[in-house]
Amino acid sequence: MTRDIWYGDDEGEAGRFVPLYVLVNGRTSPRNASLDLATQVIAMPVDTRTLEPEYAAIISRCWTWMSIAELAAYLNYPLALTKLLVDVLLDRRFLTVGSPAEESVADRGILESILARLESL
Amino acid sequence: MVRKSVKVVVAGGFGTGKTTLVGSVSEIPPLTTEEVLTQASIGVDDLAGVEEKTTTTVALDFGRITIDADIVLYVFGTPGQDRFWFMWDELAQGAIGAIVLVDTRRLDASFPAIDYFERRRIPFVAAVNTFFGERLYSEDEIRAALKLNPVAPLVWCDARDRYSSKQALIKLVQHAMSQLPAAVQSSV
Repeated sequence: MTRDIWYGDDEGEAGRFVPLYVLVNGRTSPRNASLDLATQVIAMPVDTRTLEPEYAAIISRCWTWMSIAELAAYLNYPLALTKLLVDVLLDRRFLTVGSPAEESVADRGILESILARLESL
Repeated sequence: MVRKSVKVVVAGGFGTGKTTLVGSVSEIPPLTTEEVLTQASIGVDDLAGVEEKTTTTVALDFGRITIDADIVLYVFGTPGQDRFWFMWDELAQGAIGAIVLVDTRRLDASFPAIDYFERRRIPFVAAVNTFFGERLYSEDEIRAALKLNPVAPLVWCDARDRYSSKQALIKLVQHAMSQLPAAVQSSV
């Protein structure tokens, strides 16, 4: 991935993230349409030495399953931007993704497991 | 088995104890994620009509409960301000359901949340705050005041208390299971 940082003249809160939007090469919405803030991702065992620091920062936190919301919280990036960064990393196979929430919610077995766990807390 | 995540939404008016409840059940200290919205608006005083940008930050507090090696449950509080409905849509999409916190001193603060979930037929429980110990009203009185659909469970909840908060979550999951299509239920 080429690095092309633009430090624009927007000094406001949003301006701080402009270089990161450049990193996603103008992508404004994820190609993986089912990415949601609870979606689970995990790092693949690939060489990350050529990754930009912002991407490497995400990968370094995905040694175990991690949600997009947690990544955004830990890195202090806006949620939409974090989704875009994860989207790029998924496309490039640095990350892999768990199953979407919709599939889990209508599964009685999963709800039973949740109930059992909650009762034991 | 593939890793799965599930969501529960905690809603209710400002100050009803959403973040408190999240903290009571979460295995990690509550985290905050933010959405930064940039809005362009025409500067009123600038005759040249130059656009100004204002930034709004919408914050969500959330927690996590690991169910087993394959399933993790996230509990998301809705944004403090009611108007960010697009965030509610994302939270509610694919969620098990919601806990709507109710403060009997300000019942109307919970109306938008109840309305939101009822319209979308998303399972929810009304969790009535017992911060101050007394139950000033009966369940029937509160149901009537909220115009609560009889299907929606009502529970008493002290959001500061882990056991009480856990019970509200349990009630929601049981309610969601009862709302599954009959074919799914009978496959036990």
